[in-house]
Amino acid sequence: MAAEEDWALTQSASQVQRNLERLLPAQVDQKVSELVQYLLVKDQKKIPIKRADILKNVIKDYKGVYSEIIKRAGRTLQQVFGLQVMEIDAKHHIYILVSNLPRLEGENLKQDDCTAKLGLLMVILSFLFMKGNAAKESAVWEMLRRLRVDPGVRHEVFGDVKKLVTEEFVRQKYLEYNRIPHTDPPEFEFQWGARAAKETSKMQILRFVAKVPACWEGWRGELKEGEGSDLGGA
Amino acid sequence: MAEDAGSGGGDSLQGRDSGRSRRRPPVPSTSRNGAVPEHQQRGLAGGQGRQRPPEPANEGGGGEEEESEEEPGQGTERAEPDGDHADRRMLRHQYRELINRVQQNREDMLSSNSNSLTDALQEANTLFSGVSQAREAALDAQFLVLASNLGKEKANELHSEMTVFDLPAFAEDLLTFMGLNRLEGEENDSDDESIASGFLPNDAWHKLGAEAERYFRRSPSFHYMLGSFKVDPPVPRQRIERQKRKAGTEEKRAMPAQLKKMEESHQEATEKEVERILGLLQTYFKEDPNMPISFFDFVIDPSSFARTVENIFHVSFIIRDGFARIKLDQDKLPVIEPSHEEEGRENDQNAQVRNQAVISLSHQDWKDIVETFEITEPMIPAPGVSQENES
Repeated sequence: MAAEEDWALTQSASQVQRNLERLLPAQVDQKVSELVQYLLVKDQKKIPIKRADILKNVIKDYKGVYSEIIKRAGRTLQQVFGLQVMEIDAKHHIYILVSNLPRLEGENLKQDDCTAKLGLLMVILSFLFMKGNAAKESAVWEMLRRLRVDPGVRHEVFGDVKKLVTEEFVRQKYLEYNRIPHTDPPEFEFQWGARAAKETSKMQILRFVAKVPACWEGWRGELKEGEGSDLGGA
Repeated sequence: MAEDAGSGGGDSLQGRDSGRSRRRPPVPSTSRNGAVPEHQQRGLAGGQGRQRPPEPANEGGGGEEEESEEEPGQGTERAEPDGDHADRRMLRHQYRELINRVQQNREDMLSSNSNSLTDALQEANTLFSGVSQAREAALDAQFLVLASNLGKEKANELHSEMTVFDLPAFAEDLLTFMGLNRLEGEENDSDDESIASGFLPNDAWHKLGAEAERYFRRSPSFHYMLGSFKVDPPVPRQRIERQKRKAGTEEKRAMPAQLKKMEESHQEATEKEVERILGLLQTYFKEDPNMPISFFDFVIDPSSFARTVENIFHVSFIIRDGFARIKLDQDKLPVIEPSHEEEGRENDQNAQVRNQAVISLSHQDWKDIVETFEITEPMIPAPGVSQENES
């Protein structure tokens, strides 16, 4: 199966074109639509999407024109939704969706658990950045304890924080959680994950950190308008 | 990497090389039998840079030999290949102790203030001069790996210290941003003074997250607005209809009584109930047109939880079809009132905004409501009762 898959995928552009000609346009369009919907739904949990899954669940017999289908799906996502399909692992072919639209003021109307989790993630990413891109797990928890987040205590908002940070964020590729060699009992360190690298940047983190010292009360109303438009967007 | 400070260190480095290549001639073991033992000769001949296993040397009966010739003056010389078992055991013990100590005091080793890592390396160097066999050399190698990892970490920490990062201030600032209310905080009776006192609001992390979102290019999660579409429900209905039809035609003449019972299928019973309740509601309103009825007063049956739930279910049909409305009054309690006749059914389907609500009512809730609202009689009498009345 793997060998057959590889053969189909390594076809040259002209071969793909020829395969394309053998199919009805409607058939191909159907597959493109299916792929668009598949990607959108798979993206809900923010777990990166594997090419193998795409081939198995959507493309199926159309492997010979895979490159064309994914290209068109990417175009649709960009033009209709403003989303970009990015490959975060060129070796294992894993994709994520990233927004290409500039952020608007007042866009954050829906605040749910995802929002809160992103706040926590942001804190961790900033900390990692300040510590030179990697930090020991113990240092991260020490920092979070100051913010009343303790891995041993069930958190009101986050629940099992340790699981959230070491499993969910890692699966979503926001963070990397690696074992430090030669430590016994084993110790781990955190680093930025591939998704974090694509969805934000060191520059953006710096801007966030610069913004945090809140010298005002009632921050909601007074969020500096001028600064806001400057910081919006990638 | 290994910091060999001092002359002793330099020599022992040389000693290491010789240990591996065996280029240096061993000290003649005159104390034994005057002649250089045969196995030593073999060792000499063999080893240009090759790691000859010391086992052959050992087999020569190292244990039986007298104590090895470790002349203190020439501490940099390699020890006798057939060093005493006890000495070697001692050496291994010392190595293990050193390794353990380094692991236990990891933090101290990493601290930029302390030289303990350097000291440990020196110690290992000294120990190494006594090494001649693979077993001890392996321990030495283990220590080397540990020390070099620590060295790397220490170097990393040097780098990050250049960006002066004040963790407490960072944490304080974040808490402030999240809306920490320091004034109303309880006294901080925990031992850890690093945790600020104060009351953190429930939406603290949401606030932070909302700000953080602006710095991420996260794609919004895609969800179908009306949920997923399931194909199952229509099928059972068809089956029931077919059964009814069949039964009806076959048994029409023979048993009319049974036919009547057949008609009371689930679907029709529901419709009948809904109509009955609607009728009741409209009757109540004819009596008092301007006063909406409290929802709870209307649906609750103080004697039966099950019937209360059924009533709510039937009322929901009335609301769905637009014959009545549920609103919240000034006290935020739900009230029900019929819709006017002009707002007919068709209009409702097109023009009115459809809202959905989920009402949950536990057994305890029901009991509490009965008590609070002092409901003694159900406004919707049970179906059996009303039928008797009607007929």
